[in-house]
Amino acid sequence: MKTGTVHNSDSFLKNISSRLGRDTIEPAVTLPEWSYSPQHRVLENATQEELIAVLEKQCQIIHTDFVRVKPENTLEETLNYVIESYGGGPIITWDDPRFEQSGLSSLFERDDTSIWDPSIGDNNIPLAEKANIGITFSDITLAESGTVVLFSGAKKGRAVSLLPTVYIALIPAESIVPRMTQATSIIHNKIQDGDALSSCINFITGPSNSADIEMKLVVGVHGPIKVTYIVY
Amino acid sequence: MSIKIGEGPFHQRVEKGLNNPFMRGAVSSAQERFQQRKASAIEELGNWEEWRSLGEEIRQHTIEHLDFYLNQLSENIIKRGGHVFFAATAEEANHYIRDVVQSKNGKKVVKSKSMVTEEISLNACLEEAGCEVIETDLGEYILQVDDHDPPSHIVTPALHKNKEQIRDVFKAKLGYTKSEMPEELALHARELLRKEFLSADIGITGCNFAVAESGSISLVTNEGNARLVTALPKTQITVMGMERIVPTFEELDILVSLLTRSAVGQKLTSYVTALTGPRTEGEVDGPEEFHLVIVDNGRSSILGTDFQSVLQCIRCAACINVCPVYRHVGGHSYGSIYPGPIGAVLTPLLEGYEDHKELPYASTLCAACSEACPVKIPLHDLLHKHRQVIVEREGKAPVSEKLIMKAFGFGISSPALYQMGSKFAPMAMKPFVGENQSISKGPGPLKSWTDSREFPAPDQERFRDWMKSRAKGGRIDENRYRS
Amino acid sequence: MKVTLFATCLVDMFHSNVGKATVELLEKLGCEIEFPQGQICCGQPAYNSGYVKDAKQAMKHMITVFEQAEYIVTPSGSCATMFKEYPHILKDEPDWQHRAQLVANKTYELTQFIVQVLKREDLGATLNGKATVHTSCHMTRLLGAKSEPFTLLNNVQGLEVIPLDKSQDCCGFGGTFSVKMGQISEQMVDEKVSHIEDSKADFLIGADCGCLMNIKGRIDRKKSPVTVLHIAEVLNSQ
Repeated sequence: MKTGTVHNSDSFLKNISSRLGRDTIEPAVTLPEWSYSPQHRVLENATQEELIAVLEKQCQIIHTDFVRVKPENTLEETLNYVIESYGGGPIITWDDPRFEQSGLSSLFERDDTSIWDPSIGDNNIPLAEKANIGITFSDITLAESGTVVLFSGAKKGRAVSLLPTVYIALIPAESIVPRMTQATSIIHNKIQDGDALSSCINFITGPSNSADIEMKLVVGVHGPIKVTYIVY
Repeated sequence: MSIKIGEGPFHQRVEKGLNNPFMRGAVSSAQERFQQRKASAIEELGNWEEWRSLGEEIRQHTIEHLDFYLNQLSENIIKRGGHVFFAATAEEANHYIRDVVQSKNGKKVVKSKSMVTEEISLNACLEEAGCEVIETDLGEYILQVDDHDPPSHIVTPALHKNKEQIRDVFKAKLGYTKSEMPEELALHARELLRKEFLSADIGITGCNFAVAESGSISLVTNEGNARLVTALPKTQITVMGMERIVPTFEELDILVSLLTRSAVGQKLTSYVTALTGPRTEGEVDGPEEFHLVIVDNGRSSILGTDFQSVLQCIRCAACINVCPVYRHVGGHSYGSIYPGPIGAVLTPLLEGYEDHKELPYASTLCAACSEACPVKIPLHDLLHKHRQVIVEREGKAPVSEKLIMKAFGFGISSPALYQMGSKFAPMAMKPFVGENQSISKGPGPLKSWTDSREFPAPDQERFRDWMKSRAKGGRIDENRYRS
Repeated sequence: MKVTLFATCLVDMFHSNVGKATVELLEKLGCEIEFPQGQICCGQPAYNSGYVKDAKQAMKHMITVFEQAEYIVTPSGSCATMFKEYPHILKDEPDWQHRAQLVANKTYELTQFIVQVLKREDLGATLNGKATVHTSCHMTRLLGAKSEPFTLLNNVQGLEVIPLDKSQDCCGFGGTFSVKMGQISEQMVDEKVSHIEDSKADFLIGADCGCLMNIKGRIDRKKSPVTVLHIAEVLNSQ
């Protein structure tokens, strides 16, 4: 990777050092043990089922449809049902092996489904823009806030969860953790291990919204207007 | 636009605010909603005080080691192929950004909400250079379309406008033909702005928190505009105040949790986006080029002073949302893009006392702000410190105040003077006392009180004199309970 | 128990009734009252306005006057808070800071003293009617005396304590703020009085003469029928 450039760092940082009573920029700082850690106590001993229940409840607050795949249905049937309820395609998805692994190959047999394709470059954008529905998996799911965490990448375009009118997140039950704490801890550990961090990590909590006009909530502003989570 | 907004002296702006019933109604009901939402969000969390203490500790530590963390951030960004520009002043920041835009032959810039770019007047600089600059946060967009009306709140900048006013602005400027329903207004903005996102050359964002350990920047939004600004244009420029940084993702968790609950009463906003450098090999969205501009613009002069804790601020506006003074006078009265208690503390530090010397006095020191602050900035203490600086260092205390000090005998350190002043008060005030034993038209500085309130007549017998005669076995007044 | 009374300048000059009620009440509760005649203002108005040097002289004088006391009691949450702040304000003068700390440690707002030190909750007072309470900002937020007035008022015979909308809001007094920013102060006290009127209470009770003077001033100007009382007057009523 090409290294970037930096300007004026020395004078800028040395000024800060001297304001803080130091001659030079501190070479190393160790993070202290914080006096409190309330974040770890949120939903601390919750079971998987309890976390799913928390997620379901939170979905009502964030204007998101929560769908759990029933034992008598497949994920495929459930997804098809949700797609139809939104009036069908065009659809755009990530290029993600989990679709096949989860028995969703038929999604790609539809002629109104596009798969995010790095080889066509910028041409992905109009596809996502014209799509009615964008579908991705959730990489980590936060029960407390009702949040799906997406790590973008070459085959996992940012626009898939952003430009379509409707966004559907497929949530493996085992991806559900209590709250943001567990997700940031995973990310922190990756960084410590020297793993390459995704250039874009999105914490998505329901549809876009705004309360900028008279504090009245409008659901659906620049991002998706409707969102459904399917837990399987 | 710089930090300073609006025209005329402070009292004129206040008067304008007080005489704007719509604005006052809007602000009052907004405050109520903000407060309710925050209250239920923190009640759910249970141990809010622990969260606040943790937030304070993280912010204090980070500011105390700011040189280290900024250096770490910068090194991690360049490793990822991003460019970092440290800007000591607003001009340096603006010129760098303008040069980047011009080097890309950028004509159209889309922006997500950023207070620091307001602070440095970036839009004006880019517009002068011939760029079209489009604000995409709905509130900011409304203000921009309405001939650059200044923001009156740091989270919901168009708080002072009602939907009818917004409809009329949209009709006049944007060919809007529908009703004043927020849904229809927002949809119109969505349709217009979607085209702008798709055709923009440059995306400019603010930064809620940078993460030093990875060189990431995080953006916290509800509308999704910041995601569009950072997903579609080929060049992204992020501008951050130098203090907006956390050591690692683990601290980001805490501060984002505090921010979203305090700002809007949400557990998380719709989008929290952590961006690290430009797009990587094979990616086809996200910027090809990423620039981070780290702005000082007066902040470093706050370090090492009694005011250092103001740099803990995470721009949640919780202090603004509880402030009774803000409720009545509105954001524009402060004459600063940073209104309310945080603005009254920060503005004089960034821009000096000359234009802003009244701000520290626009508070009763009721401490509602300090109590609301999620990172425990002692805002009312800092307002008080400003007053001390104004009186004792700057010598800018208004004459009327010195008169009040004298008139009341307050602050007079001599017991003898106090004794004398209080003893003769009944006589001195006698000409002004009406039949109901109170003063309806006070002299001098008292007039400001009696314009709206009765002022009590001094008791004929001071309490201390009653105590004295009582100690001597004197009389007891049996009829003293007037009620 | 020997109690040294810090009356406050507002009580001394304008509200001697509150001082008298405080003395009688504490005597009824078995306290012996001492009143140092050397006491002046605690320095808060000057301090809050930024005149810290002037205020420090007043503060040092007050420390000298009160440091021999066993308990210092004052019928004002705000002035009690000021005594508690002394050590912090005098932190650059270790000797004075130490003496200020000793004074601060034994300073109590009246209702705090009754509940925490005397451990009394029912004082046998009677007042017939409905009352709402102004919880002063310094008393609640800075001194932390939130529950004590309610503990005591709930035991007053014949008195029904009813809630006040937006009770946490400042009344707009703020010392010199009330004259420096008279227009804003007016709006704040007006809002406070509207909430008091809406509560339909007969009495507005508070524990700080500054706030009460402000609220009563507006109530009287509006000729509103609400009676304003200091909590000492209520607790001392039979």
